[in-house]
Amino acid sequence: MTENFEVQFIDRDERTARFLVRGVSPAFANGLRRAIIADVPTLSIDSVRIIENSSVMFDEQISLRLGLVPLTTPPNEFEEGDIVTLALDVEGPETAYSGDLRSDHELVEPADTNIPIIELKYPETADSPQRLELEADAVMGRGRDHAKNQGGVAVGYRHLQTVVVEDDADEYSDSEPEILRGVIEERAAEHAVATDGTGEPENGALVATETFDNDLSKRYPDKEVSVRDVDDAFVFHVESDGSMSVDELVTNAADSLAERATELEQAVQL
Amino acid sequence: MMVPVRCFTCGKVVGEHWEEFKERAKEGDESPEAVLDDLGIERPCCRRMLVSHKDLVDIVSPYQ
Amino acid sequence: MSYKCSRCKRDVELDEYGGVRCPYCGHRVLLKERSRNIKEIDVQ
Repeated sequence: MTENFEVQFIDRDERTARFLVRGVSPAFANGLRRAIIADVPTLSIDSVRIIENSSVMFDEQISLRLGLVPLTTPPNEFEEGDIVTLALDVEGPETAYSGDLRSDHELVEPADTNIPIIELKYPETADSPQRLELEADAVMGRGRDHAKNQGGVAVGYRHLQTVVVEDDADEYSDSEPEILRGVIEERAAEHAVATDGTGEPENGALVATETFDNDLSKRYPDKEVSVRDVDDAFVFHVESDGSMSVDELVTNAADSLAERATELEQAVQL
Repeated sequence: MMVPVRCFTCGKVVGEHWEEFKERAKEGDESPEAVLDDLGIERPCCRRMLVSHKDLVDIVSPYQ
Repeated sequence: MSYKCSRCKRDVELDEYGGVRCPYCGHRVLLKERSRNIKEIDVQ
C-alpha cells in the first residue's frame, strides 16, 4: 500500500456512522464491509431451556425471537465460544419484553429493552394465567455462522463522487431533477448554491446529497453537470444492531482483517 | 402473531418500535409515514415490517 | 399415559382396555398435558 489511509466522518453516532476513507482499493473496501458483517463476534442467545411455556407461541418460535435480540458485547471481555446465561420469568396478564431478560454478567444485557417477546394473557376460559419461564445460553459467535450474530446492519459503501460543471444549461430546455445519492466532494464551488446547513460552498468540502434533496439541479441551478467517481475514495455507511458501538465494530473488523493477513504471511514464510 | 424482532431483509431491530407505532399510527390519528420517520425507520424494508403487521395473540389466546 | 379431561378437568390415566373415555364423567375429549420436563431448544 503506497498511500496512507485518510478517514473523515460525515455523520457519527453511537449506532450509525458514515465516513469517508481515502486511499483504499475497491477490493479492500469490500473486504472491510464483509468483515464488519461476518467476522466480528457478538453475543446472542443460542440455546434455550424452557421450564414453562403456556403462551400461544411454540417453544421454537419463542427461542428464535430471543435469538434475534441484540445483546451488548463488552470489548475484549469474551472470546468466541464463551457462554453467558440469561433467565426470563414472566406471568400474565403482561407482555414479556427483551428487557425482562436477566443475565449473570453485569456487562451483558439486551441492547434494546423494549422488544416484545410474547404477550401473555389470562384467558377467561383458563384456570391459570399464561406463563413463560426459561433459561438461555448466549454464545459468542460470528455473522457468517448465523445472521443473529451480525453486529453490522445494512453495511455498505459507495464511491465518493464529484460533480463537474460542463456548461450552462440550454436556456429553453425543461429543467428536470438530476437525482444523485451519497456524498459528493465539492469541486465546482463557484457554480454551487449554498444548501441548508452546509454554509458557503467551498472547494474540497464534503456535501451529503440529502442537504440538497438528492437533486443536483438544486445545487447547481441552470448548469449542465456530469458526475464522476473519485478514485480510491469510499463512503461507508455502517449501522450497528446495538451489540457494540460503530467505532468498536469497525476497529474489530479491521483487526480481524489484520489478523488473517498476518496468519497468511506466516503460513507463506514457513 | 407477534411483531418480528428484526427486519427480514436488513436485520435492523424493528420490534422495539412497534408499541409506539401502534399507539400513534394504528390507534391514534397520526400519519404512519410521519411516525416511521420520527422513529428513525428509514428503509422501505423496515417500514413494511411495521406497516403490514397485525397482532394475533388476542385472537388465538382463548383456544388451548 | 396421563391426560386431562376437557370437561371435568381431572387427571386421567388411560390403559389399553378402557378406551378413550374419562372414567369420572364419561367425556370422550381428553387433552394431553405438557410434560414437566425442561425442554432444551437450539436457536436456529
